[in-house]
Amino acid sequence: MSFFGFGQSADIDIVLDGTETRKLAEIKTEDGKKERHLLYYDGESVTGKVKISLKKPGSKLEHQGIKIEFIGQIELYYDRGNHHEFTSLVKELARPGDLSQNTEYSFEFQNVEKPFESYTGSNVRLRYLLRVTVVRRLSDIVKEVDMVVHTLSSYPDMNNSIKMEVGIEDCLHIEFEYNKCKYHLKDVIVGKIYFLLVRIKIKHMEIAIIKRETTGSGPNTFTENETIAKYEIMDGAPVRGESIPIRVFLAGYDLTPTMRDINKKFSVKYFLNLVLMDEEDRRYFKQQEITLWRKGEKAHKGAGGHTPSPHVPSHLVSAEGGPQGSESMIRDPPPDSAPKAPVEDMTREDGTSPKEE
Amino acid sequence: MGMQSQIEEQEKLLDEALANVKVQAFQMKRCLDKSKLMDGLKHASTMLAELRTSLLSPKSYYELYMAITDELRHLELYLLDEFQKGRKVADLYELVQYAGNIVPRLYLLITVGLVYIKTNSSLKRDLLKDLVEMCRGVQHPLRGLFLRNYLLQCTRNSLPDVPDGTGDEAEGTVRDAIDFVLMNFAEMNKLWVRMQHQGHSRDKERREREREELRILVGTNLVRLSQLESINLDKYRKLVLPGILEQVVSCRDAIAQEYLMECIIQVFPDEFHLATLNAFLKSCAELQPGVNVKNVVISLIDRLATYSQRSDASSADVDRGEIGKLFDIFSDQVATIIQSRVDISSEDIVSLQVSLVNLALKCYPDRVDYVDKVLLTTGQVFERLSLEKVVHGTAVSKELSRLLKIPVDHYNNVLTILELSHFVPILDYFDYAGRKSIAAYIVNNILNSETYIPTPNEVDTVLTMISPLIQDQPDQPAAGDDDQDADDFAEEQGLLARLIHHMRSDIADQQYLILSTARKHFAAGGNRRIPHTLPPLVFQAYQLAFKYSALQDQDELWQKKCQKIFQFCHQTITALTKAELAELPLRLFLQGALAINRMQFDNHETVAYEFLTQAFSLYEDEISDSKAQLAAITLLVASFECMTCFSEENAEPFRTQCALAASKLLKKPDQCRSVATCCHLFTNKHLQIHDGKRVLDCLKKGVRIASQCMDLFVQTQLLVELLNHYIYFYEKGNEHVTVAMLNQVIAKIRDELPNLESNEESEQIGKHFSNTIDYLKSRIENPESEGVSYEGLSL
Repeated sequence: MSFFGFGQSADIDIVLDGTETRKLAEIKTEDGKKERHLLYYDGESVTGKVKISLKKPGSKLEHQGIKIEFIGQIELYYDRGNHHEFTSLVKELARPGDLSQNTEYSFEFQNVEKPFESYTGSNVRLRYLLRVTVVRRLSDIVKEVDMVVHTLSSYPDMNNSIKMEVGIEDCLHIEFEYNKCKYHLKDVIVGKIYFLLVRIKIKHMEIAIIKRETTGSGPNTFTENETIAKYEIMDGAPVRGESIPIRVFLAGYDLTPTMRDINKKFSVKYFLNLVLMDEEDRRYFKQQEITLWRKGEKAHKGAGGHTPSPHVPSHLVSAEGGPQGSESMIRDPPPDSAPKAPVEDMTREDGTSPKEE
Repeated sequence: MGMQSQIEEQEKLLDEALANVKVQAFQMKRCLDKSKLMDGLKHASTMLAELRTSLLSPKSYYELYMAITDELRHLELYLLDEFQKGRKVADLYELVQYAGNIVPRLYLLITVGLVYIKTNSSLKRDLLKDLVEMCRGVQHPLRGLFLRNYLLQCTRNSLPDVPDGTGDEAEGTVRDAIDFVLMNFAEMNKLWVRMQHQGHSRDKERREREREELRILVGTNLVRLSQLESINLDKYRKLVLPGILEQVVSCRDAIAQEYLMECIIQVFPDEFHLATLNAFLKSCAELQPGVNVKNVVISLIDRLATYSQRSDASSADVDRGEIGKLFDIFSDQVATIIQSRVDISSEDIVSLQVSLVNLALKCYPDRVDYVDKVLLTTGQVFERLSLEKVVHGTAVSKELSRLLKIPVDHYNNVLTILELSHFVPILDYFDYAGRKSIAAYIVNNILNSETYIPTPNEVDTVLTMISPLIQDQPDQPAAGDDDQDADDFAEEQGLLARLIHHMRSDIADQQYLILSTARKHFAAGGNRRIPHTLPPLVFQAYQLAFKYSALQDQDELWQKKCQKIFQFCHQTITALTKAELAELPLRLFLQGALAINRMQFDNHETVAYEFLTQAFSLYEDEISDSKAQLAAITLLVASFECMTCFSEENAEPFRTQCALAASKLLKKPDQCRSVATCCHLFTNKHLQIHDGKRVLDCLKKGVRIASQCMDLFVQTQLLVELLNHYIYFYEKGNEHVTVAMLNQVIAKIRDELPNLESNEESEQIGKHFSNTIDYLKSRIENPESEGVSYEGLSL
């Protein structure tokens, strides 16, 4: 901070209250490394102390004032210069003057609104930080500390299953069902695929979780698709009448809650992509959006309270609304029963250049 | 690709896979030793990924599977150990489900699930349900079959096996076990059947072979069900069997259906089968056209038949009522099967009937009517199928033969066969060769079982039944086409000859009727057969006459009856003469004469004389071969010598005729010998005839004829023989024969002997002569006290 070693300089430490008890959360940095920071929720106060240690004891540090800022900002990677701050709170710690000894200031941001979840994506980053500035004439002394914010949601009021009959005419008709449309991040997707018509030689079937990050607006919209998970749910070729169970544990994957139009800057959406591969490596797939949300840690325990034994994973007993796949093994549909809903098209791709839509 | 290179390719692929397994298994165990469970699981998963291959044949895949599941045992044991020490790994069941590929994932899930079950049985019910459901994700037949087999193997000692309503609900009851196995079974069967429909049709054979190799995997499900001790009859009837049958019928695959039906029969206890016959057999009728339903039904019938016999012996708490209904149920269901299955072949229909007969015989030995009912049904089916003839050597004929032979063997008594009123109608379906073969079989049975046929009616029926042996048949092949060789024919007719001795009643009158009935049949046998069949009949008749003779105190009509019998014999023998036979009837007449000679019924002399003269006229009219003539004369003379019943009035003409006939023989040696034989006509101790003069005449005539023979060998031989005749009569005390005559003949022989060329023949003659001389010497040296004197004999 000091040029040519002249003059006084100082180290700034920001010590947040409750460091020992507060949880840490992991977040990626821009370059993909993982960092752990203290975890805050919306409405929680952010309090602590700022310690300023002088580097040259005995010598004075002249300053134009000391302040601490609480900042929530969105950084678009293609627009490095501009950080869009959606929250910025300032507290003045000291009026302009001299510091002649190591000094400690308490600060307190009461019940801070933290409307968005911390996020690091391919083109965008949403971060929260505390910044202490010792304002000086030539160069300020600045210290920043990152925090992680998780946004918690309560159980959605409406959480219907996703059920759909899709297909490609005279080739493949399936009916798939996911037990919900909204899943929390540690949730289990339970469902089944029911084969109504199979005239292709299927090799296997998988479920992919795709994250779609959209940034910008208008002509400057960037969309980035990332396959978070590929999960094989079927091996081999089924025949008409087979029903294949789906069970995907989300906890193992690196997921965030769904984010819609965050501060008009970006969105993060999740899709389940059901992919069938035939023996000529053609892919047949259907994407379906699901909403991910973060459930409060404390509520977690009581949620699946109807398990017969504490040791049974809660998904073993089919949750409400889930498909009762084990009830009837063979459901032989009348051969020419009209589908209940119009059959939606699946997408078919040749195997030469497999790409996610 | 050649077969050889295919095998090499498989070996190479398998070796590579096994090498990978070895490496990963080693790593896995090392991690587990260091308690690095997650790393261990990763290696296990990599190892299991080898099972994702599509390149291996079922056989190679099986080897790989065995190697891998063997290694998985280490993981299982490690986890069990950890769990039992209380070091549970939270959410392990969930953790293994993060594996991205389904095949390794499910193997791990099963392994972990099993450890959960073993350490906490309250999870059993839900986990079993979950595992069997999750396995649906593998739809590839080979991989799915092995995966589910692993599930089945792992759970084999952990299935809940307590009756419903007992025990902890979370542990489950036998009902849950049944649901579990039935579901696994259905899924495995579907996969197995699906193999048939994958790949090229040109590989059909190979596919079917591969399916055969894999069928045990499917069948193991049924074995597992059969091992559940809490399955009682009620459960079996209401849950297990309907569940299995539904799958079997609905899979519509012949290979599967045949194997599984057989499996059901083999793995479940007889009591269960007995109580669920109708359901099982109904399903049989619904099987695919290609299924050999016959084998299935037969297998069941045979099993239950054996069972009922066994339970009969132990007379356990078996429901006799159920067994009592067995026959009716099978009979009805077999009828349904035959009617509903258009493709069923005639031989299969008959096979089914065969096993019904087996059932009837084994379970109801005294219910002849059951067997008869089967025969009736068979006939009705043939009628419906408009089957007219069963050609010998065809499959139907073989089965139909079994159908008829089984009761024959079982009853071992032709009289019981006669009670089967539908036996003969079935027999009539055979062509000539088939009927004849069955007939021979029946006859052999009678002979071997020593059955005696005691009434004329039964004789009539039996002989009608076996008529292809006895008489010419309208449908038999023309004489030239019949390639049966003479030996076979003789053997076959020999059977009949023996059979005649098995037609026997202890009541004489009855026996007469039997013989008359038999003759009616045999007499129609034609010239080829009657030489074999009529003689025993004649001998039987002679026997009967002896019997009447012995009964003369009890039966005042015995004389008449004896006459009638000999009339019968006369006719019978005459029938043979009409068949242009001579030597045989001649002998039979002579035998008759000898028989009559021993009975004192009125008129017996006349009858005997008639028989003798019949024999003689046969000789005169029919026998032309010189050897046969000589033999006939010898027999005539010998028989006459035994006769005691003739008065001089009857004896004289016969003697004269005989001697005359003897002297008329064409060849000198024959003449010589027969004339010498005729000596015996004139000395008969029974008839008190001792005409020494004529004896000597005969001998002299013999010497004269002998000396006329040009061949010195023959002449000398004849002289030696004559010498023996001389000695015989000399010793019998014929006063016309003297030592001087003996000397004369001896001298004559001695003259001739040295002239004979030395060879085998002359040696033989010399030996004969020297033996004779030796005899005489011994007589001279050791004279008998009352014997004749050989004084003056010059040796």
